[in-house]
Amino acid sequence: MANAWKIARRSNVQLPLILVVALAVVLVLLGKAQGTLFDKMRAHATDTMAPVLEKVRVPVAGFGRWMGSITEIFSVYQENLRLKDENARLRQWRNVAIVLQGRVGRYQALLHAVPEPELNRVLARVIGRANRPFLQTMILDAGRNNHVLPGQAVMDARGMIGRIYLTGNRTSWVILLTDLNSRIPVTIASSSGKAGNIQAMMTGDNRVQPSLELVSRTVILHAGDQVTSSGDGGLLPAGLPIGTVVADGSDGWRVALLADAASSQDVEVLNFSKPPEAPPASAQLPAEAAGLKPQAPPPAPATTVTPTPPATPAAKPPVTATPKPQSTQVPPPAEAEAVDR
Amino acid sequence: MVTLERTVVPARFRTLTAVVPMLCGLAGVFVANIPISILGGLVPPPLLALAPIYFWCLVRPDLMTPAVTFTIGFAEDVLSGGPPGIWTLAFVLTYALVARQRDSFAGLSGLAAVLGFAAAATIACSVAYIAVAALAFLSGTHFPPMAPILGELAMTVLFYAPSTLVVSWLHHKLVGASRSDV
Repeated sequence: MANAWKIARRSNVQLPLILVVALAVVLVLLGKAQGTLFDKMRAHATDTMAPVLEKVRVPVAGFGRWMGSITEIFSVYQENLRLKDENARLRQWRNVAIVLQGRVGRYQALLHAVPEPELNRVLARVIGRANRPFLQTMILDAGRNNHVLPGQAVMDARGMIGRIYLTGNRTSWVILLTDLNSRIPVTIASSSGKAGNIQAMMTGDNRVQPSLELVSRTVILHAGDQVTSSGDGGLLPAGLPIGTVVADGSDGWRVALLADAASSQDVEVLNFSKPPEAPPASAQLPAEAAGLKPQAPPPAPATTVTPTPPATPAAKPPVTATPKPQSTQVPPPAEAEAVDR
Repeated sequence: MVTLERTVVPARFRTLTAVVPMLCGLAGVFVANIPISILGGLVPPPLLALAPIYFWCLVRPDLMTPAVTFTIGFAEDVLSGGPPGIWTLAFVLTYALVARQRDSFAGLSGLAAVLGFAAAATIACSVAYIAVAALAFLSGTHFPPMAPILGELAMTVLFYAPSTLVVSWLHHKLVGASRSDV
């Protein structure tokens, strides 16, 4: 009887098993080639679960804080001393930052500099986290309805956490900087001041600190160098704080992230898709501020109508040196010097 | 004297009970993939869906078919957020290997049963890791580290005993043994 059962089972089950295995292999290849179908299903599933996640989030976050407080209670005194020391240092840096901010503002006014493109920010709440073997992600309660789009940077109060990679109507998934699939072009500001800015690629490998792949092999990094986004590729704005360089102990470098994705509750999604603001009128361009007035374009002949080629930078009128009175917005040197001090 | 107890399922509920293994697997997928991290992401969540697949593959292979395993793996892929198709392939291949050695696995008990499930979980995690590593190789990116998948394997084996308690209770209450097993 048992033998008959096995024979019957082989004839009924083994054949579809081969087909199902083949189908699974096809699914892997299909997912590699065309992952958007899966992404849509994931986004739809997350949108459906969003109300439940928001309800569950509060008690789970409270439990997490309680668990964290158990371990922290033994180091409260040392932590208090460390924070006081850090607070004193940060106050000094705050004063320096205020002076430098005023100086930069004055230089911008002197140069009539084109302002940085304004970033729209969407405040979102973390309603879920997943730490899977092949994916480290968090889920936000803002989606396409809030104008959140894939590729946008996600920041907490300290620094960059990751990028949006999947959006539903009401939720979005964030690929963390530590994730295996995360690759961010970064700029490293050398603390020695000799090497200037160093370009590198920061890649995640599911470890706490992403690794750095230097573009140039000749540069020398130092532990503590500041890492910011470079803005290369135009996907992310330049200058987003990311972390500091640390040695990984095996002739390589990693980045100690400023942000803590495990504890962040409220984050900002930066909308960098907005086109940069239009440059100011020609009267405010730096060339004119420096005393160089653009020449008026020659009048076009009105007798014949001919198709005109598209405008190119070479077709712009040449700029001639023409003296121009100094702008009234420039502060007097005495005042500028006083602020510099 | 050993007495055999068998749940008598009315005919009109047989269709309903036939989907209990699949529903258990899908419930395991859903619970394991709720994106809530109680321990702050220190440990990865277990593959809760593997316990129903393993259990009913041994006990009622007529209900836990390859197609049902494929469906559960597909749900795991959708909800876990990893590379598409990885867990589908891992579950189906694990099912195939366990089904081929069904008599050996079904005869295990106690600690040996846990080790048998650990072998099945090792197959699933190995297949998933190898598939992701192959995709990473094709993409020219980093190979995934071993530690997270080993953590998931450990958690899956750790949760085998409680998962099997629930699954076997449901089996005795709702599904029942197949006629050939009695």
